[in-house]
Amino acid sequence: MEQDLQTTLLDLLLFRQANVVWVIGATALLSISAGLVGCFAFLRKSTLAADAIAHAVLPGVCLAFMIGGTKNPVVLLIGAFVTGWLSIMVVSWLKANTKLKEDTAIAVVLSVFFGFGILLMTHIQQSGNAAQSGLDKFLFGKAAALIGVDVYVFGSLAVALILMVLLLMKEFTLLSFDRQYAQSLGMPVVLYEIILSSMTVLAVVVGIQAVGVVLMAAMLITPAAAARYWTHSLPVMLVLAATFGLVSGAGGAMVSYLAPGLPTGPCMVLLITLIAILSILFAPRRGVIAEFRLQRRHQIRILRENILKAFYQLAETDGRFDTPRSLQTLLDRRSFSGKPLDKMLRQMVADKLLSPAAGSSDLGWILTPEGTNQGRRIVRLHRLWELYLTTELNLAPDHVHDDAETVEHILTPELEARLEQLLNFPDLDPHGEAIPKRG
Amino acid sequence: MIALEVHDVTVSYNRKPVLWDIDLSLPEGVMAAIIGPNGAGKSTLLKSIMGLLPLSSGYVRLFGQPLEAVRGRIAYVPQRESVDWDFPASVQDVVMMGRYGKLGVFRRPGAADRAIVTQSLEQVGMGAFAKRQISQLSGGQQQRVFLARALAQKADFYILDEPFAGVDAATEQAIVSVLHEMRAAGKTVVAVHHDLQTAGTYFDWVMLLNLHLAAYGPAAEVLTPENLQKTYGGRLTMLAQVGEQLHKQAFPLREQ
Repeated sequence: MEQDLQTTLLDLLLFRQANVVWVIGATALLSISAGLVGCFAFLRKSTLAADAIAHAVLPGVCLAFMIGGTKNPVVLLIGAFVTGWLSIMVVSWLKANTKLKEDTAIAVVLSVFFGFGILLMTHIQQSGNAAQSGLDKFLFGKAAALIGVDVYVFGSLAVALILMVLLLMKEFTLLSFDRQYAQSLGMPVVLYEIILSSMTVLAVVVGIQAVGVVLMAAMLITPAAAARYWTHSLPVMLVLAATFGLVSGAGGAMVSYLAPGLPTGPCMVLLITLIAILSILFAPRRGVIAEFRLQRRHQIRILRENILKAFYQLAETDGRFDTPRSLQTLLDRRSFSGKPLDKMLRQMVADKLLSPAAGSSDLGWILTPEGTNQGRRIVRLHRLWELYLTTELNLAPDHVHDDAETVEHILTPELEARLEQLLNFPDLDPHGEAIPKRG
Repeated sequence: MIALEVHDVTVSYNRKPVLWDIDLSLPEGVMAAIIGPNGAGKSTLLKSIMGLLPLSSGYVRLFGQPLEAVRGRIAYVPQRESVDWDFPASVQDVVMMGRYGKLGVFRRPGAADRAIVTQSLEQVGMGAFAKRQISQLSGGQQQRVFLARALAQKADFYILDEPFAGVDAATEQAIVSVLHEMRAAGKTVVAVHHDLQTAGTYFDWVMLLNLHLAAYGPAAEVLTPENLQKTYGGRLTMLAQVGEQLHKQAFPLREQ
């Protein structure tokens, strides 16, 4: 048994069996085409509609099988295409002619078509048709079941879809960004919408054997959603979505070989979902962790600047910048929470903003020249902003402190200079306190 | 030469007429403002001119011909809020869209198109922002990008929906001066405008609209207290009420 697995794995990795290569190649192609077409469904915010199509091709496959009596992929493709399109038309008819909103129309169409498909499939299975063995694979997909003509049909359809995306990229981009404007240019927007919808249907259809009808929706949408996290450029997004599709598609197909009991579709979907989760977490700037770290950096900056400000204000009260101020004095001036404060004070000593009194921080700290400079700047910005609010915006002097507490941390040197000029280089803030000059 | 003729146009949404029997004609080379209260149908009128909405009755002629025949000479600037700016594109990508109408299917933009894009961006003072992602633009910058996209069409007639909505004073001035340059070059401009204070100085023609056309003509003649009272005053609720009635009873707008 172990021997078998090893051989299969080696076969896979070394591409020793031509058949395996073809199947994995076809699966990779169809995942790429789904990823590319899905980008435009994602950008046009019609991902729900793609989900409905993915469900609605099932009855078409079953009907085609019942009428044609064969598992010939071309016959099944036609059936799937017909009901896929029918679902789009029913949704838009419901939207135009009833009071139902789009999401409701989609939800209704999705479940009715899928329910009907399951009904037909159950009927086929019970009728004991010999050729039916394997039709149930269309629910969850089995890449290894792609044989002979299937590979060519699905593979070439996928290649055609990829070429279409490349050829019509300009038009699809404009349609997705600004439909009205596209129409004002005289572009046949309805025609392009029909083409794009047909491509969405086909992208689902090429995956019915390898991935399964329902799960194909994930292979359309998830690569695009994950790719969007990494880039602001559409061409890059398309390349990324195609790559994510490729990796999860080929990966899922390999798993299907290694463990013939496992359905391909769910494996592919788990892989692409993993990629999406990693993107959501780790993408630079847009990712959750990048966002979290940015907020944390802000918090650290606010704390550091508030400590500098407190030390500066303490020195200001008696004019003695060389007197050490103890922890208690600092806390009397302003409340800080204990643990982050200790850590920050140590960090500020290391950064040469503070120096411990006579070599021991137990007696307190004094500001270094650099610390004095920075503290002075924060106090200055605070008071300038308070003055701006009272003189330019006519706010009451007792209502300006909280705003200034925030704004003092974000004013750039350019804004500082403009503010100073606007206020005509003032000496006093609205509370009569001196605005320190630049150091 | 007449640049725009709107003949007996009625437009409705959900069976509710939002424009009643609009008749107007605009000479070439003027800069015209469409002015009226919220919900007066200003954007609807522009969209009807651009063929973006079905007309319940009437027709529109541009330079004496139907829109299809002269589309290459008309540029439309939709409302800034009508698109999702969190779209993966750069400023120059968006302005390049102004060239798509001339390019045709399958053709990629060439050096001449890129030169026009650069020139259009410089005209609106956004030359330094060509590579910037559109999601990072301020409202005023978004509006300038939309104007640059229309300029890239090299049209003769510019139709702008609320070009001054939510922009800073500097952008407003920049846009006005671009529009004035275009008028000086013989182009025709129609824009939805909100500010009565500036209407007379920015524009030389005015159309006062509130579900119907209350008055139109040279700004100095049209912007009278009496006309403004007609447009903004309460008198027009009759039209609104009849429209509401048609909508409520799902009544056909034209008998047939």
